[in-house]
Amino acid sequence: MLEVRQLEARYGDLQVLRGVTLRVGEGEVVALFGPNGHGKSTLLKVLSGLHPPAAGKVGFNGQDITALPAHRIVELGIAYIPEERHLFRDLTVYENLNMGAYNMRARPKMASNLEFVFSIFPRLAERRDQMCSTLSGGESRMVAIARGLMSEPALLLVDEPSIGLSPGLRSAVFEAIGQINREKGITILIVEQEIRHALKLAGRIYMFKKGQVLFERPADEVDVAEIEKAYF
Amino acid sequence: MANLINAIVSGLIAGSLYAAMALGLTIIYGVSRVFNFGHGIVALLGAYIAWLFLGQMTGGLLAGTLVSLVAMFLFGLLVYRFTINPLLKKPGWETSTVLFLLGAGILLENVLLQVFGPRVKSIPSFLPGGLRLGAVQVNWHELSLVVIVLAAIAALNAFFKRTRTGQAMRSVAQSIPGAQVVGIDIDRIYGLTFGLAFAVTGFSGILLGTKYYLNPHIGWEWMVKGFVIVSFGGLGSTSGAIYAAVILGVVEAIAVLYLSAIWVWPIWFVLFMVLLLLRPQGILGGRL
Repeated sequence: MLEVRQLEARYGDLQVLRGVTLRVGEGEVVALFGPNGHGKSTLLKVLSGLHPPAAGKVGFNGQDITALPAHRIVELGIAYIPEERHLFRDLTVYENLNMGAYNMRARPKMASNLEFVFSIFPRLAERRDQMCSTLSGGESRMVAIARGLMSEPALLLVDEPSIGLSPGLRSAVFEAIGQINREKGITILIVEQEIRHALKLAGRIYMFKKGQVLFERPADEVDVAEIEKAYF
Repeated sequence: MANLINAIVSGLIAGSLYAAMALGLTIIYGVSRVFNFGHGIVALLGAYIAWLFLGQMTGGLLAGTLVSLVAMFLFGLLVYRFTINPLLKKPGWETSTVLFLLGAGILLENVLLQVFGPRVKSIPSFLPGGLRLGAVQVNWHELSLVVIVLAAIAALNAFFKRTRTGQAMRSVAQSIPGAQVVGIDIDRIYGLTFGLAFAVTGFSGILLGTKYYLNPHIGWEWMVKGFVIVSFGGLGSTSGAIYAAVILGVVEAIAVLYLSAIWVWPIWFVLFMVLLLLRPQGILGGRL
């Protein structure tokens, strides 16, 4: 579904992605591990069109999407859930979700997607008319994920969804992501530092370091210790 | 006492016209963070376009207004596409767009001077006669201006809340990355915002033209007042701009009553300085 080949990216003169090659198959949950500051978030930003690639190719379902602008990538079915969330703070939960369904493909599916989103995040149903600026960290995380789902994606790029959350909320978020993959068949590429949880969720993992893929493994053939060792 | 009440009424009317004018400025800034220093000239241009149609046909003002709205919308789109868009892609755009729009305003002012000449023009009031409630005098025309402004504000509110494009503009105003991840074409929204803002501003110019004399230089007066108003209201807040416009309109009218017309400009600038010293983010500002 997603084919990334020798992808490079820069911030000014700083080379952040140094030739990333990876792939995500349809229906998979693939986890991306690696130390902070090595380019994982940048990778997701380039894949979603928020940052320009310097070299390399990105293919989605056989189509070359390498230099497409962000709104075209959303139209094609890729939704990016940034770590910073970037919610519309002066709009309500419902209004944010409504904006999530902005693209033309998502409009007819809005009612059913809303129902699904409220079923996996019941807390949001309670808070639907509340301003996003008043939500707790966990709740705004849920809104960010839910808003991404409203765009009717085939592929979800999730950047550290559990960061800064309490253990209970962390489990709830991972549970929800699992449900999204199982019940909707949405393919997931997830960047995480919560290795234990992510390993249970993922079918395959990539280890990412210094702007490149270090190794790739099926999730059941690797343990937490090995991954933690690879961090250093 | 009667004089004071009449002054306040007059100030409210002027304030509502200023509010209409400040809206366009707020809309552009709120969505794109570009401050349109040529704003007053845009209002004036809208007024002059409508003025062209006066006396050419029956219903000339209405036809002129419609043409003005369409022409100003297209003008806004073009200004964005060919000048602002390229500037936004380079660093330092906050300054370059300000300087560019200021320069473009000066250029446009002189074009208007060449085309229309220095003699003042005015757009006739559309309703004769007035109303007298005790000592208070209001004419129908000015009341109708307030009604029109209120209707325009309500229409804009509905546009921002209920239409897909209006909602997209609101979203872009709050978070550009957020707008990107939901699939909004930021560039397209910016263009439409400039178009909408120019049309609204031109329309406010037509309304102002029925109450004040038009000449190419009055655009700068409107610009400065608009600048002070949106600063008072809080940059990016449309409701703030409306409240500020009405308050400042009334203050201006009272000042003219008790001091004299010469004091209008000093009053505006003193108020502005007080604002900057006490609450620079404006009354409803803070969410820049």
